[in-house]
Amino acid sequence: MSFSRRILGKMAIGLLAVTTLSGTAFAAEMPKPFDKPGEIKIALVRYLSTGDFFQAYLAGVEAQSAALGVDLRILDSRQDAALQADMVDQAIALGVDGIIIQHGLTEAIKDAAQRAVDAGIKVVAFDVNVENPAIPQIEQSDRDLARLALEQAITDNGESWKAGYVYVAGIAPLDRRDETWIEFKKRYSGINEVAMFGTLDNPIANSVANQARSVLTANPDIQVMFAPYDEFAKGVKIAVDEAGLTSSVKIYSADISTSDISAMREAGSAWVATAATNPAVVGQVSVRALAMLLAGEDPGHNVIVPPTLITQSQLNDNDIKNMQELSAKLPQFAHADVAMPAWMPLP
Amino acid sequence: MNKTTTGTAMASETSLNSTPALQNVRVLTLRDHAMRYGFLALLFGLVVYFSIAADGFASPISAVFIFQSVSITGILALGVTATLVVDGFDLSIGSVATTSMMTSSYVMVVLGGDATSAVLACLAMGILVGLVNGILIVYMRVPDLLATLGMMFLLVGLQRIPTQGRSIATGMTLPDGTVATGKFSLEFLALGRHRFDVFLPNFLPVSVVILVVLSILIWFFLEYTRYGRMMYAVGSNERAAQLAGAPVRVYKIWAYVISGVFASIGGILLAARIGRGDIASGNNLLLDAVAAALIGFAVLGVAKPNAFGTAVGAVFVGVLLQGLTMMNAPYYTQDFVKGAVLVVALVFTFALSRRSR
Amino acid sequence: MVEEPVFRIRNMQKSFGAIQVLNGVDLTLNAGAVTVLMGANGAGKSTLVKVVSGVYRMDAGEVALAGEKFAPRSPAEAIRAGVVTVHQSINDGVVLDLDVATNLTLDRLSGAGTKLFFNPRRVRREAQKVADRMGLNFDMGATVGDLSLADRQMVAVVRAMAHEPRVLILDEPTSSLSSVEANRLFDLIDLLRSHGVAILYISHRMSDIRRLADSIVSLRDGKISGEFNGPDLDFGGAVDAMLGRKISQDQVVVQDGGKPVFVANNLCLEPGAQPFDLTLGDGEIVAVTGLVGVGKTALAEMLFGVRTCTQGRMVLDDKPYSPRSSQQAIKSGVFLVAKDRSVSGIVPDFNIYENTSLPFLKQISNFGIVNRKSERAEAREQISSLGIVCQSELDEMHTLSGGNQQKVMVARWLGHASRLLILDEPFQGVDIAARRDIANRLRGSAKGRATLVFMTELDEAFEIADRILVMSEHTIVGEHRNADVDIDRLLVEISGLHAEASP
Repeated sequence: MSFSRRILGKMAIGLLAVTTLSGTAFAAEMPKPFDKPGEIKIALVRYLSTGDFFQAYLAGVEAQSAALGVDLRILDSRQDAALQADMVDQAIALGVDGIIIQHGLTEAIKDAAQRAVDAGIKVVAFDVNVENPAIPQIEQSDRDLARLALEQAITDNGESWKAGYVYVAGIAPLDRRDETWIEFKKRYSGINEVAMFGTLDNPIANSVANQARSVLTANPDIQVMFAPYDEFAKGVKIAVDEAGLTSSVKIYSADISTSDISAMREAGSAWVATAATNPAVVGQVSVRALAMLLAGEDPGHNVIVPPTLITQSQLNDNDIKNMQELSAKLPQFAHADVAMPAWMPLP
Repeated sequence: MNKTTTGTAMASETSLNSTPALQNVRVLTLRDHAMRYGFLALLFGLVVYFSIAADGFASPISAVFIFQSVSITGILALGVTATLVVDGFDLSIGSVATTSMMTSSYVMVVLGGDATSAVLACLAMGILVGLVNGILIVYMRVPDLLATLGMMFLLVGLQRIPTQGRSIATGMTLPDGTVATGKFSLEFLALGRHRFDVFLPNFLPVSVVILVVLSILIWFFLEYTRYGRMMYAVGSNERAAQLAGAPVRVYKIWAYVISGVFASIGGILLAARIGRGDIASGNNLLLDAVAAALIGFAVLGVAKPNAFGTAVGAVFVGVLLQGLTMMNAPYYTQDFVKGAVLVVALVFTFALSRRSR
Repeated sequence: MVEEPVFRIRNMQKSFGAIQVLNGVDLTLNAGAVTVLMGANGAGKSTLVKVVSGVYRMDAGEVALAGEKFAPRSPAEAIRAGVVTVHQSINDGVVLDLDVATNLTLDRLSGAGTKLFFNPRRVRREAQKVADRMGLNFDMGATVGDLSLADRQMVAVVRAMAHEPRVLILDEPTSSLSSVEANRLFDLIDLLRSHGVAILYISHRMSDIRRLADSIVSLRDGKISGEFNGPDLDFGGAVDAMLGRKISQDQVVVQDGGKPVFVANNLCLEPGAQPFDLTLGDGEIVAVTGLVGVGKTALAEMLFGVRTCTQGRMVLDDKPYSPRSSQQAIKSGVFLVAKDRSVSGIVPDFNIYENTSLPFLKQISNFGIVNRKSERAEAREQISSLGIVCQSELDEMHTLSGGNQQKVMVARWLGHASRLLILDEPFQGVDIAARRDIANRLRGSAKGRATLVFMTELDEAFEIADRILVMSEHTIVGEHRNADVDIDRLLVEISGLHAEASP
C-alpha cells in the first residue's frame, strides 16, 4: 500500500509540474479577468502571524497567488483587531480587487468587511466569521479533525476503553472538537472518560505534562489519551514517558508540526495518530476561492478544507522528518481538491 | 521639630520600661507556634487529606513527581528570592527561562552544538541578562520592576528573532528554506528525562536533584555566608549596609545575576523536558515562581524572603495541584486555589507577623 | 516703624501628651516690620508656627489679628484670614511638575467657585501681574522643578503673596540656600516690608538676622526668653537668651591628646567656605558642636569617605588618607556611628548580634562562612560592657528602647579596634541613663584611637569631650579645652557672631 502511495505521490508531483507549466502556457484559456492576471491586485489582511501555522499559511497564499500571477499585498495587524479593520479600509483605498481576511474578531472586522463588499471588492474570510452572506468562509473542519483521530482510536483499540481527555473550554476550535468527542462518547458507550484536564498556561506542553502526570498517577489504567491539540498531545506524551506507560497508553491528537513529527516518531512513542489540515493548503484554497469569486464563479459559502489522518506508521514507513517531506510524501496532505475549477493553475 | 524635648520625654518613658526582664519576656505563646509552624502543619494536613481522598497520592512515585512538577518553577523561585532579599524584584525570570529554552534548542538544532555548549550558552545568557538588569537598576537608576519588565518584553521578542518566530524542533525548516541538521543531544535530553536509581529503579529525576541541590546551595549561601548576610542587610536598610562598608551596588547586581542564572537553569530543564524550543513568554512560570517565593515569606513565620520558605512554598503549590488534578478538579479551580493560598500566606506575613507590628 | 500691632499672641500654650512645648508665649507683630524669632532646636518654634498657621489648635491663650479673635481651624482658614506661612521645606510650597504661572495662581485655580475649565493665557497673564508686583523676573512657562532651590523659594514666597496677606510667616527660608541666593530672597522681603506686611522670620542664622531684623524675639523652652527692639539690636543678648546660660558642667577628667593620629590641613566643606585644619590625638575625645546645618554631618561624611574631599589633605597615622568609600575608610580604621540610627544605622530585619557584627563579617568568617559562635560571643561582650538592656543577643531591634538601640549602634563599632572613631549625634533620642553609659564606655575605651563626636547640644559636649571645637558656616571657628571653657566666647562662636566680636 505504501508502495503504491509512493508512486501516486510521484505522479502527483509530476502532475503538479505539468499543470504549473500549463498554467502559463494556456493563459489565454483563463476566464476573465485572469487573462490579464498582472492587473489583478489582492490583499491578505492578517490578524495572527507568528508561529509555524501562520508561516505555512502565508507560504500557501503566496504560492497560489504566484501560480495565478496576481499581485499580492500583505497587511499584518499583529493581533490588533482595530488595526486590522483599518487595514481592510486601507486595502479598499489601494483599489485591490480581492481581499482575504485571515483570522480576527468578528465584532471588529465585520463592518469593514461589509464596506469592502460595498466597494465592489470580492472578499473571503479564513477562520473568522464575518457574518456576511457575500463572503465565503474558508474553514478547516475541526469536527472532521476530531472525527478522523477518534475513528483511528476506535480502529486501534476497539469500541471500549478508558480515556483521558484534554480540553479547555472557551476556545472556539477546541469547543468544536469537543462536540465530536461528546458525540463519540454517546455513540460508543464503551468509552469511559475517567479524567478530563487541561490548561493553556505556557509553555503549554510543560503545564499539561504536569497535569497529565497527576492524572496518570491516579489512573494508571488509562488506555487512550485524546488530546485534540498538538501542544496538549506533546505534554501528555512527556507525562506518559515519565510515568513509564508508553506501552499501555496511546495518544490521539489534532494538528501537526515538524516537532510533532519527531515526537511521534520517537522510539516507542505513545503518540500514534493525529489529524491535521495542511496550513499551506488552506492558504492555497483561500486564494483559489477568491479567484473563483473574481472570475464570477461561486465557491460556496462554506469552503471546507478537509483534514488528513497522519499515523505514526505512515511517518515511519515514509521516513518523514518534517513538514516539507510530509507534503511531498503524503499527497493527500499536500493538496485538497477544494475550490478547483478546471482552469485553476496549481502552484 | 522639638527633637530634644520629645527625645528626653521619650527617653524617660523608655527608661521606666526598660527595667530588665519587664521589657520583653520571651515566652513562646501559642500564637508564636502558630506563626512558626502553621504553614508546615497546613502542608502536612494537605498531604494527609490527599492521601485519604486521592488514590495513589501517597506513594513514593507520586512524591517524586510532585517535586518534579515544581522543580522548574522552584528553581526560578529560588532565583527571585535572591532579588527579593536585596529588596528588589525580577519580573524577567519567566522570559529568561523561555529564552534559555530557545537558546539551548538553537545551539543544538540550528548550530549543531552539543549538550555542553548548549548549557554553557544558556548560563552565559542568564549571567548577561542578570548583569544588564543589575546595571539598569543600580547604575541607571531604573526602578527594579520597570527595568525587569522591560527586559521581559525584550527577551520575549529577542527569542523569536533568530528563527523568525518559529518554534525550534529537530528537523525544522529554517527561515531560508533549508532544513536544520542538528538535533537535541541525548545527554541534554537526559537532564529532563533521566532518572537515577535511588530507592527504586528509575526513580529520581535529574531535575529534582538539581532543585534540591540549588535549594541547599542558595539556602546555605543566604543564611550562613557573609555575602548572604550582607544581601539581607542591603535589602533591609540599604544606607545602613553602605555605611557599614558593604559594596551595596555589587551585592544588588549579584542578586540579579543569581536570579538570571537560576532562571536559565530552569529554562535548560524546560527544554530538556519538552525536547524542543517553544516560543513562550514564560509569564506563568514567573507568576508561579513569585507565588512560591511570597508563600515562602510565611513559612516559619519569618516574614522575609528565605530559601527554605521558597522551597516549601513551591512544594506546597505542587502538592495542592497534584492532589486537585488527581481528584479531577478543573484547571480554573487550581488557579483559584493557588491564589487563595497566596492570599492566606500574605495575610500570615503582613498582618500577623511580629515584625510588622 | 508702625506701632499699631497687626498680630498679637497672648499666653499661648500647647502640649503633646505630657510634654509642654509652648509654655505661655507672648508675641506681637507690627505692620511693615520684620520680627525675627530665634530659638534652638526644640525651643518650640515649629509648634508655634503650626498653631498660628492652623495645623495645630492651641490649648490655651488667645490670638488677635487686627484686633479680632483669630483661631484658625485649618491652614486654609488661616490663609483666608490673611495669615500665610511659607514652611521650611521648600518643595512643600510649590508643585514641581507645573510651570511658574500655574504655581503662582494655583490657590485660585483650586479654590471653591472656580470654573471647570481654565484659560491658560489668562492664567499666564494673572501670574505675570503677581510676579511684576513682586519684582519677580521669571519665565512664566518654566517648570518649577527645573528651577534652582532659591528660585523655587522665591516662587513659594510670591505665591504666598498672591493671597495678599497681612501676616507672612517664613520658617527658616534660607536653610537650604547659599548666601548669594539668600540675598535675592532678602530683597524680596524688603519689598514686602515696604508693602506693609507684618513678617515673622524664623531663623538662627546670624547673617540673616543681622540683615533683616527690625526686632528679635528669643524663644527657649516654650517661653519668650528675651525681646530686643530699637535701632541698635543686641544680637549677643538675643543669642544668650536663645541658648540660656545655665549650662551644667559635669566634671570630666580631661585627657590631653597623645601623639596625633589624624591630621587634616586646609579642608574645605563647601565651595566658598573658609578652609580649616584639624588635628586629633591618640586617646582624646573631641566634640564638634554648632547649630544645625553648619556642616557637621558633611565633615563626618567626608572623614568617612561618603562625601568626596575636594580640597585639602588628610593624614592618618602619618600616611595620606583619602577614602573614596566607606569600605576604604573602615579598612583604614576610620569608623562612623552615623546620625539618625533608624535611617542609616539599624538593619530592622536583623537581631542584636547580626546588627553589631555587620561591618566586620569578614573578620569573623572562614571561607566566607560566618562563625556564629564568635559572632554571638562578641555581641554578648558588648551587651554587658555597654549595659544593653535585653533578653539576649537574639532580641530583635524593634523590641529595644531608643537608648538601647543607640547602644547597639555604638557597640557595632566598638568591637573592633579603630584609629579614628566618629560619632554623629550619638545622643539623639537617647535617654540620660543610656547617654551616660555610652559616654562612659567611650571614655573608658578611648586609649589607642582618636574619637570625634559631633553634637548640637552643648551639655552633651561638656559631658563627654576633652576638647570642644565649634563649627559655624561650614568651618571650624573655635577651640576649647573642656576644663576652663570661656562660655561667653563659646556661645558667640556658635551663634556666628565671632566675626564681629573678635577684631
